Amino acid sequence: MARIINLPKNGEMIAWRWMRYSGLLLIPLAWGHVLIQDVLVGVDNIDLNYVSMRWAFVGWRIYDLFLLVFALAHGINGLRQVVLDFVPKKKNIRLVNQAAFVYWLVMVLFGIAALLGGVRKP
Amino acid sequence: MSVRAMTNLITYRGGVGQLSFVLHRLTGLGILLFLVIHVVDTSTVFFFPSLYADAIAIYRSVPFMIGEIFLVFSVIYHGVNGARIAIFDLYLVRNLEIMTQRNSAKWTLAISILLWLPAAVIMGRNVFEKLGI
Repeated sequence: MARIINLPKNGEMIAWRWMRYSGLLLIPLAWGHVLIQDVLVGVDNIDLNYVSMRWAFVGWRIYDLFLLVFALAHGINGLRQVVLDFVPKKKNIRLVNQAAFVYWLVMVLFGIAALLGGVRKP
Repeated sequence: MSVRAMTNLITYRGGVGQLSFVLHRLTGLGILLFLVIHVVDTSTVFFFPSLYADAIAIYRSVPFMIGEIFLVFSVIYHGVNGARIAIFDLYLVRNLEIMTQRNSAKWTLAISILLWLPAAVIMGRNVFEKLGI
């Protein structure tokens, strides 16, 4: 029988919940993306025209935006947890947390710029 | 160092449970590595559109197409195992017993391979086509 205990309400608890809820959301998002792009369409049929055709429909841009933000936040938090397994010092833990946040922010802003800007034909 | 000592060094509790822990971490880190590269290559459609064709050309090479098949396995396994973790942690806390966990870890691997096989066949066929076999 599992033992029920009261859990602390701190940042790590939020991160723990975050991984589970965002993970459940990412299953349809990421699987749908992989099924369409990798299996059904295939990398041989993907080029600039394909991307601009797909992004012409705003729904796909919102889909990609959700995937971008949630997948990066889930993935980088996962990386943070793996790294923190090897970092015992409090001072270094804070450093890792800050680095993870900056990494996430840079990647998300990079992706959002492309999503908003769209395809520029060369 | 003997083989036994080497395996002791990388073994925590061993068994199915540790196998799913290791697989979950490795697939997760692998997906993140590709995700970061993929965000950058897709961003070229806006920042450097003339480079996008070169980026995609790398993905169209045979080694990357084989890697893509493993990537799909990673996404499927990480998703199925993650769903197992999330559902047990959030909704089935009372069922967190060691035997159910061992069984569910085996089921996770079986379901992942079953979901992956059709995708692997379709993508593998593309690889053979590219090789002209």
